[in-house]
Amino acid sequence: METKIGVFICNCGGSIKNINFDAAREKVAKIPSVTCVNLSSNLCLGEGKEKMLSYIKEENIERVVVAACSPELKEHIFRQVLEGAGLNGHFFSMANIREQCSWAHEGDVTVKAVELIKMAVNRIRLLQPVEKKELSVNKEVLVVGGGFPAISSALQFSRIGLRTTLLEKKPNLGGKLREIEGFYSLETSSMIGAVEEDENIEILTSTEVVGVEGKIGDFTVRIRKGAEEILRNFGAIVFATGYETEVSPQDFQLKLGINIISQERLAQMLQASSVERKPESVGFIYDVSDENSRLPTLATLNNALTLKERWGSEVYVFCKNVKVDSEGVEKLYREVREHGVMFLKFDEKPRISAEDGRVKIEAKDILLGEDVTLTCDLLVAEEKLVPAEETEALSTLLNIRTDSRGFYQDENVHLYPVSSERGGIFFIGGCRSDLDFQRALVDVSSVVMGVYKLLSPGKILVEAERVKVDRQKCRTCLTCIRVCPHSAIQLVRVDNEKEVAEISDLACDGCGICAAICPAKAINFEGYSDEQIVAQIEAIGAS
Amino acid sequence: MNKEIVAFCCEHSAYPAADLAGKQRLCYPQNLRIIRVPCAGRIDAIHILKAFEKGAAAVLVLGCEDGACHHITGNTRAKERVKYSEMLLKEVGIDNRPVGMFNLAPNEPHKFIRVLNEMNKRIKESREAK
Repeated sequence: METKIGVFICNCGGSIKNINFDAAREKVAKIPSVTCVNLSSNLCLGEGKEKMLSYIKEENIERVVVAACSPELKEHIFRQVLEGAGLNGHFFSMANIREQCSWAHEGDVTVKAVELIKMAVNRIRLLQPVEKKELSVNKEVLVVGGGFPAISSALQFSRIGLRTTLLEKKPNLGGKLREIEGFYSLETSSMIGAVEEDENIEILTSTEVVGVEGKIGDFTVRIRKGAEEILRNFGAIVFATGYETEVSPQDFQLKLGINIISQERLAQMLQASSVERKPESVGFIYDVSDENSRLPTLATLNNALTLKERWGSEVYVFCKNVKVDSEGVEKLYREVREHGVMFLKFDEKPRISAEDGRVKIEAKDILLGEDVTLTCDLLVAEEKLVPAEETEALSTLLNIRTDSRGFYQDENVHLYPVSSERGGIFFIGGCRSDLDFQRALVDVSSVVMGVYKLLSPGKILVEAERVKVDRQKCRTCLTCIRVCPHSAIQLVRVDNEKEVAEISDLACDGCGICAAICPAKAINFEGYSDEQIVAQIEAIGAS
Repeated sequence: MNKEIVAFCCEHSAYPAADLAGKQRLCYPQNLRIIRVPCAGRIDAIHILKAFEKGAAAVLVLGCEDGACHHITGNTRAKERVKYSEMLLKEVGIDNRPVGMFNLAPNEPHKFIRVLNEMNKRIKESREAK
């Protein structure tokens, strides 16, 4: 028996004007296996949906084509109507007769609209049912790192009831927290104390991740502590492995010494209770090698202010640009200037030389347009942000990209900055970009929300076997495993002999790259199979 | 079909761009037929060749911008396959039917129109050359 296909044509509240709906209806009714055509306006609104539902039931329609707006807008709404009528939500297709037909052309577009409907009907005829199923997920979270974002997110995970393991490479927690606590009036010890007391948080120090297998909701992580290796299971992994700083005086052919020091050394000198000889004049230099100078700017401004307040030295800052895009930094910059710190902006690299045990800096100030020569007792060289040393090894291990500077790449800089291309693996804080404290806090909140949404229901609803490997056809060439951008394909052994590729419903994001590349054509992508795509092509120009 | 352009549009970039072109009423010729795919990387040479077999005047594969593909490598793989099918077409002597892969962002309806106009121009040129 032929499947009954119902076509619903909607004029989108009268916004489609250049289609002759009655003529279209007549033509569509003649398409084979289309049992009924229904005209409507506002199909997506309450009344339209109710009518659609009752019509599907009355006429025993099995598959539905809606010709209306773009599927980007309303596809999910109509799928719900289908499911409400007891049909498989997958048996649905939309013909975009509004955005890509009526609105895009001048004059009558009835012929094209009918053709678009025909394409959708041709596709829907070949669809196979896709069932939805629930898969349970492991509700434990692994947080890798020991710095502020790691500690803070572990505390929040525990608060929302997710068991968390905090894994730190170093012997103790804290990371760079101690360095910044003064600026943000944080209390390092109380935060670490809170983590240690929390019963929901397990702390593993001097421990490293050496292997990650599995997929979202069910990761198996190999952890090495000393000579011992253990396997643990987690539902999601959050990396907060941070950044490292590198003093880069080689940009100026400088050598660190008594007169030329790093920011870190200066911070130590400022924290010390007494100093041998207070420098009368101090120069800072930064933003030569790297465009991303958010954190160096912050460090420079903070140190310059402390210098002024504590030692009363003359302070000069040589820079290309003062980046004040973090919260409160504009104010800090103004305050620093009010304290008498001089900013000199250059385009070309300043020349730096030694003179009578002091440092001579010659630069062309672009604002004054003149050459400036200054001699300082102390020059503080810039620090560059570099990824933590294990970043490269981890990215290879996880099969996740890094950006041009070696930091982890965001999945989408605007929409999903803390996600990665692998579901269930997140990156927060300094390991993905140079983030100031406020931005790191935002990262912590986003990751907590992301993981909560993922793990708290305890199960995930997925479309079962939408992309499926035909075990008979699979020749175990591993091509699909190599190309899958989401690491969703693994080898499984069947009947104790042949090994075949298997696609995880959880990790698959439905791109179809594997289906296109498979040399044996063993992978079928339901909804976008070769036959279904070709069927659409066949409908073009047939009338 | 003999004058239609078949465009395989990635649902993350080119399809919304085409929608936006409609929303902004940027009119373009009626000979475009869009097939929505989850990623440009889904498109194989067979789909492009089938479209020509059915008489398409040109085939377009439209994916995300370089380095911004939602599925990381989909757009680069699509580019390779378009190149490969171009080679196959040349081998069988169909060299007057243009096929192209272009990258565009979902908020670039004007680029979408530009690509389309260029394709229509190429179709016209190859017809005149014949």
